[in-house]
Amino acid sequence: MGGVCFEYDVDGENFASAGNASESVKRTLKQLGVSPASVRRVAIAMYEGEINMVIHAHGGKAAVEIFPDHIEIRLIDRGPGIADIDLAMKAGYSTATENIRSLGFGAGMGLPNMKKYSDEMTIDSAVGVGTTVYLRINF
Amino acid sequence: MTVSEFVKAGGLTVYSEGEERQIESGYCGDFLSNIISRAPDSCAWLTVMNNVNVAAVATLIDCACILLCENTAPDEPFAARAKQLGLWVLGTDKNVYEAAKLVASLCGV
Repeated sequence: MGGVCFEYDVDGENFASAGNASESVKRTLKQLGVSPASVRRVAIAMYEGEINMVIHAHGGKAAVEIFPDHIEIRLIDRGPGIADIDLAMKAGYSTATENIRSLGFGAGMGLPNMKKYSDEMTIDSAVGVGTTVYLRINF
Repeated sequence: MTVSEFVKAGGLTVYSEGEERQIESGYCGDFLSNIISRAPDSCAWLTVMNNVNVAAVATLIDCACILLCENTAPDEPFAARAKQLGLWVLGTDKNVYEAAKLVASLCGV
């Protein structure tokens, strides 16, 4: 049986709306009675994904499917792609510019945080084509 | 101690108000990824970061209040977002260390 689906457009380079999709999912999960600890894990993982798309990929889409016992999130962008995924996953590694760092991002913790707070994470990326990140978080 | 009590006792500036709630701990930081993964719920979050992303992160971590240190004021998009979300945004001229001591002594956390 399929879950309940939501799709969000993540506006590229618009930091004012970054976080809207994760905030909306957070609210929905709370209403569904998902435990606060699980809600927080989902919100963090998804926010980091949203921010990555804003910083690196001129935005993208977040497709979310909620099941009774877990959530699946697909973050899909047509950005520059990730040349070396292992390096990108390394805590502290970042390609963010000085300007992005001055906004409080670029600590190189985005992907590691997504990994830390999800039960399953896969990155499918091709340079010049885009990146899709799949996250599964069990409640 | 509640946020309003903390404002009064600490002589703090109020940039935006939220619902009354208890301050149960504190966290200091400016790198948003560290904050979302480490800051505890219902904390007073001390930072010098003053852009709109602070509002989004504060919502995610569900902090009791944001305390902007060293005379930092929220920029316009941040102030507008904080009001819309009902977040407590406070200000002080103290540096982060001195402000953290204030949280510790007044709130007993």
